[in-house]
Amino acid sequence: MGWEFSVLATVLIPVLGAFTVPLVGLASKPLRNAWAVVLGAATFFFALTLVPAAFSGETRVFSWAVGLGVDATFVVDGLSVFMAAVSSFISTLIIVYSLGYIKDYQYQQEYFLMVVLFLGGMMGLVFSANLILMYVFWEITGICSWRLVGFFRDREVIVKADKTFLTTFGGAVFMLLGFAVVYASSGTFNMLEMRGMPISGLAVGLITMGIFAKSATLPFHTWLPDAGVAPTPVTALLHAAVLVKIGVYAFARIFNFTFAIPADWQFYLMLAGLISAMVAACAALVETNIKRILAYSTVSQIGYIFMGLAAMNSIGIAGAVLFILMHGLAKAGLFLAAGVIEHGTGTKDITRMGGLFGLMPVTAVAFLLCVFSIVGVPPFGGFFSKLMVIMGVVQSGQIAIGALAIATAVLTVVYLLRLFTLVFLGQPRDASIHAHREGYPVMVWTVAALAALGLAAGILVAWPMDLVNIAVRDVLGNPAIRDIMGMIH
Amino acid sequence: MNPNILLWPILAPVAAGLLCLVLPKGLKWGREVLAVLATALTAYFAWTIFSAGDDGLRLFVPWTSFGIHFDLFAYHLPRFILLAAAGFEALLALYSASFMHGKWRSGEYFAYFLITAGLTNGAILANNFVVLLFFWEALLVTLYGMISIGNREAVRTSTKAVIVSGIADFCMILGIVFAWKLSGTLTMSQVHLEAAGLGAAAFVLMGIGAMAKAGAMPFHTWIPDAAIDSPLPFMAYLPAALEKLLGIYLLARISLEMFAIRMNGSMSVFLMIVGAVTICFAVWMALIQKDYKKLLSFHAISQVGYMVLGIGTGTAIGIAGGVFHMLNHAMYKCTLFLTGGSVERQAGTTDLKKLGGLFSAMPITAVCFWIAAFSISGVPPFNGFVSKEMVFHGAYQTGHIIFPIAAWIGAIFTFASFLKLGHATYLGARNKETPNQKPRDPNWAMAVPMMVIAAGCVLFGVYAKLPLKHFIQPIVQERMAAEASLHGGHGTATEIRQIHETTTAQTAPAGHETAATSQTSPTVSQPLAAASAVPTSEPVKQAVAPPAQPPVDDLWHHSHGFAVFSWIAGISIACLIIALLLHRYGVSKNQGKAYLASEPVHNLPVAKTLYGWGEARVFDLYEWFVGGILKGFAVTVYVLIDRGIDAIYEHAVTFVGGVSIKVLRSYHNGVYANYLAWAVGGFVLIAIYLTLIVK
Repeated sequence: MGWEFSVLATVLIPVLGAFTVPLVGLASKPLRNAWAVVLGAATFFFALTLVPAAFSGETRVFSWAVGLGVDATFVVDGLSVFMAAVSSFISTLIIVYSLGYIKDYQYQQEYFLMVVLFLGGMMGLVFSANLILMYVFWEITGICSWRLVGFFRDREVIVKADKTFLTTFGGAVFMLLGFAVVYASSGTFNMLEMRGMPISGLAVGLITMGIFAKSATLPFHTWLPDAGVAPTPVTALLHAAVLVKIGVYAFARIFNFTFAIPADWQFYLMLAGLISAMVAACAALVETNIKRILAYSTVSQIGYIFMGLAAMNSIGIAGAVLFILMHGLAKAGLFLAAGVIEHGTGTKDITRMGGLFGLMPVTAVAFLLCVFSIVGVPPFGGFFSKLMVIMGVVQSGQIAIGALAIATAVLTVVYLLRLFTLVFLGQPRDASIHAHREGYPVMVWTVAALAALGLAAGILVAWPMDLVNIAVRDVLGNPAIRDIMGMIH
Repeated sequence: MNPNILLWPILAPVAAGLLCLVLPKGLKWGREVLAVLATALTAYFAWTIFSAGDDGLRLFVPWTSFGIHFDLFAYHLPRFILLAAAGFEALLALYSASFMHGKWRSGEYFAYFLITAGLTNGAILANNFVVLLFFWEALLVTLYGMISIGNREAVRTSTKAVIVSGIADFCMILGIVFAWKLSGTLTMSQVHLEAAGLGAAAFVLMGIGAMAKAGAMPFHTWIPDAAIDSPLPFMAYLPAALEKLLGIYLLARISLEMFAIRMNGSMSVFLMIVGAVTICFAVWMALIQKDYKKLLSFHAISQVGYMVLGIGTGTAIGIAGGVFHMLNHAMYKCTLFLTGGSVERQAGTTDLKKLGGLFSAMPITAVCFWIAAFSISGVPPFNGFVSKEMVFHGAYQTGHIIFPIAAWIGAIFTFASFLKLGHATYLGARNKETPNQKPRDPNWAMAVPMMVIAAGCVLFGVYAKLPLKHFIQPIVQERMAAEASLHGGHGTATEIRQIHETTTAQTAPAGHETAATSQTSPTVSQPLAAASAVPTSEPVKQAVAPPAQPPVDDLWHHSHGFAVFSWIAGISIACLIIALLLHRYGVSKNQGKAYLASEPVHNLPVAKTLYGWGEARVFDLYEWFVGGILKGFAVTVYVLIDRGIDAIYEHAVTFVGGVSIKVLRSYHNGVYANYLAWAVGGFVLIAIYLTLIVK
C-alpha cells in the first residue's frame, strides 16, 4: 500500500462515502450509524498510515491533471499529515459521541451526510497544494457547516446558520481575490512552485480576511458564539474544535510554508491574534451561556495559535502546531461535557446551574481536567503548547505582545474557573433544572477519554512533538532542524 | 552514585498518590499506611542523595526538542532543600494519618498530599526551566484539590488560591521566557545574566513567582482564608513548610546563581523593600487576630519577609541568614500549626475567646507550642534567634538603617502576638466556653511529629553550628570567599560576580553532554583557596583569583552574628522586652483577658480605621483585581468591542443589504422602456469612455 493510495483514500473515503450514508440509512438506522463511524475511523486510519511518509524527510507530491489547465495536486508532508491525523481523530470521536446525542432528534440522515462530508472537505483541504483546489474544499466545509448549524429548523437557528455561512463565505471571497492578486504576479496557483515568493501586503490582507473569517478571529468572530447557540453541541464542537483550525492550517500553509510576507504584516498578524485572544477572553468572562463561553474561549485560544504562527520562528510554529492538537482535545472535552450538562439539565444558562458535581461526577472531573489543559497547567498538554507559543513570540522580539499574551492567560484562568465553579460547585440555584443522571454512557465516556488523552498528551508530549518537529521542518525547510535541536542564534 | 536515584523522590510519592485514588473506598487505614511508607521511603532517598555529597549528581534524559530536556541536578543547594522537604513530608504524613483518618474525603487528601510531595521534590531537583515549570505549576492542581476538600464551602478559597498563585506562576513563566531569550538556554545551571534591561524584567518576574510561592505580599491573600477553610495539616504542609522551602529555594537560586545579586544594587533594594513591607504589614495584621489558625497564617506571611530581606541584602551573612531562616521557619511554623491541629481536635475550637488554661491538660502540645513560639519570636537560644540575628546583621551591613528597623518592629509584634496566643490558649484559668471540656494530649502519631520538629528547633538554636556548616555554608561559600578576599570590605559588584562565575563554572556541568564528566566543586570544609589552586584552564579564572587569598572562615566565625552580646542582639532582646511589656499592659487593661491583649494597639486612633479596612479586605488585591478591575475591564471590552462588532453584523450589514435590495428592486419593475433606457444609457457611457478617455 503506497502513500499515493493512502492520500487518495484519506480524501475520497469521506468525500464519496458521505453520500452513501443516507442510502444505508434508508435500509437500517443502526447500520447507518455504524457506517458513519466506520468511514470516520477509516479516514483516521489512512491518515495514520501516512505518518511514516512524513517522517521519511522528503515532501511527497501527488499530482493528477484533471484537464482544462486544472490539476489536483496533493502534498504529503509533516504539516498536512499532522493536521489530517488530528482532525480526523477528533471528528471520529465526535461522530461516536453524536450516536448518543442525536438519537432523539429529527433530520439524522442529513446530519450524518454532512458530518462525514465535512470531514472529507477538511481532508481535501489539508492535502491540497493548489490554491484553487484548497478554495473548493474550503467552500465544501462552509456548506456543511451551514447545514450543521441549521440542524434544527427554528427561525432563530436558521438565521444563525446564515450568519455563519455568510461571514465565512464573505471572508472566502476576499481570500479568492487575494489568490487572484498572487496569480497576477506568479502565473500559477501551485503552492509548491511559489515557495519563498514574496507577496504584497494587499494579498496578505485579502487572504487574511478569509482565514480570520473561517477561524473566527476578531473582527470576524461573532458567528462562532452564535453558532454555538445552535442546538447540538456536536455542531458547536465541530466548529470550535475542528472547523476553526482550517483557517489556522491555511495560515501555516500559505504564509509560513509558501510565501514570504512583509515584515510589518508579520507584526500586524501577531497583534491581531493578541487582540482577538484578549477581547474574546473578556467576553468569556462576561457571558452566562455555557456554549457561548466555550466558543469565546475557542476564539481566544485561536488567537494564541496565530501569535505562534506569526512569530515565524521554529519554536513559535511548533507551539502553534502542537496547540492545534492540545486545544482540539481539551476543547472537544469541554464541549462534549457541555452537551452532557445541557442534555441533563435542559438549560445552557450557568447562572441557573450549580452543585452538579455530585450528580455528574465523571463529567465534572473530566471537565476540570480539560479546564486545566486549556489554562495551560502541567502536566496537561496545553502547558507545552502555550509555553512554546509565548517563547516563540518573545523570541521574535515582540516582548510586549508576549507579556500581554501572559495577561490573557490570567484571564483564561479566571473565566474557566468561574465557569467550573458556577456549573458544578456550590448549591443548586434552580431546583427545577436539576439533572437526575449522567448523560448516556457513550457520551460520558467520550468526555472522559478526551480528558485522559489531554493528560497523556502532556506527560508523553515527546511523541506528538516528534511529528510536530517534522511539520516545522517541512514548513520552514531543513535549516529549522538546528533550531529544533535547541540551538538558538 | 547512579543518577537514576534522583527519580525516586519524585516517582515514589506520585505512584503512591495515584494508588490512593484507585484503592477501594472501604479500605481502612490503607491510604494512611501507604502515605507514611511512601514518604518515609522518599526521606530515605533524600538522605541517601544528601549524604553522598556528590556535586555532579545529575540525571539527563533527552525529552523533546528546543532544548527541553528532563534534567535533574542535585548539587549542594537542591540537595539540602530536598532533604528538608522530604523530612517535612514524612513527619506530616504521620501526623495527617492520625488527624485526617475518617474525615470527609480523606482518601483524596492523601492522594493530593503524596502527589504534592512528588511534584515538590521534582521542582527542587529540576535543572531545566521547562521541567521546573512542569512540576511547579502542576502544584496548582493539587493545591486546588487540597483546599477544596476542607469543607463544602472551601471552593471559593481554593479558586482564589489557584488564581492568585496562577497569576504569580504566569509572571514566572514570562520571566523564564525572558531569561531564555537572553541566555539562549533552558538549562538553569547555565543561565548567568545581568539584571539590566530585559534581564531586570526577567529577575523581577521570576522573583515574583518565587516569592509568591513563599507567600510574600501581595500574593499572600489566600493563605489566611485557607487557614479557615482547608484541612489543618494542609496549612502546616504547604504554606508553612513546602511552599516556603520551594519559593525561597528558587529565589536563592535566581538571585545568587543566575543574576549574582550584589549589595545595594537595584535588584537587592527591590527584594529588601518587598521583604520589609511583607514583615511589617503581615505582622501588623497578625497582632489583632483572635483565631489560632488565622493568627498563625499571618505569621506565615510575615516571616517570609525576613527570608526575602536576608537574601536581598546580597551579603553572605544576610543570605545565609535568609536561607537558614527558611529552614527554621518551616520547622517552627510547622510545629505551631500542628499544635493548632491538636487544639482544634481536642478542644473543638480554635477561637481564642473560647480557649484557655490548656497547659495542664495538654502539656506536650503546650511545651511544643512554647518552644516554637519562642523560636519564631527570636528568643535566644532557639533557632529563630540565630537566623534572625544573621538577617539583622546583613540588613545593617547594607547601610540602609530602615531595613533593620523594619525587621526589629516586626520582631516586637511577632513576640507580642505569640504571647497573646500562648497566654490565651495555654495559660490562665480553664475557659468554660471551650466546646470539649476534657481535652488531653493527642495520640503518638500526632505527638511525635510535633516533638521531633520542636526538638529540632532547640537543637538548631543551641547547636546552630551543625546546620550552618552542613546545610548553609556550601550555598554562600563563594560569596564569603569573595567578601573575604576583598579585605573585609564589600568589594565592587563585578569582582564578587566574577568570583561567583568562576566557581559556578566549576560546579555546574558545562553542557548536557558533559554531565558525566563534570568536576567536583570545592567541598564544604575545603577553603576556596584550594579551589583556585586547581590548574587554571579557563581564561576567566585568571582574571579573577587574587594572588594571596586570606583564609576563609567557616560561616560560624565569619561574622559576629552569633554573639549574643553584640549590640545588634541587644536591640533584638530589647524588642522582646518591649513586646512583653506591651502584652502585660494589654492584659491588665482588659481585665486579664489575654485574647484581648492586642486591643490597645487595635484601638489606637489611626490603627483602628486601618484595621477596619484590613478586616474588610480593602488591602486584598485579589478582591480589587478579580472582583473589580478585571471584571470592569472585561465588561467594558465586551460591550464596546465585541458587542460593537456584532452590532455591525446584526444591524449595519442587514440594514445596508436591505436598503440596497429595496433600491434595486424599485428599478427592477418589469417595464420594458425602463430596461431599454438603462441599456442605451450604458452604451452611451461606453462610447464616451472609448472615444474620449481611452484615446
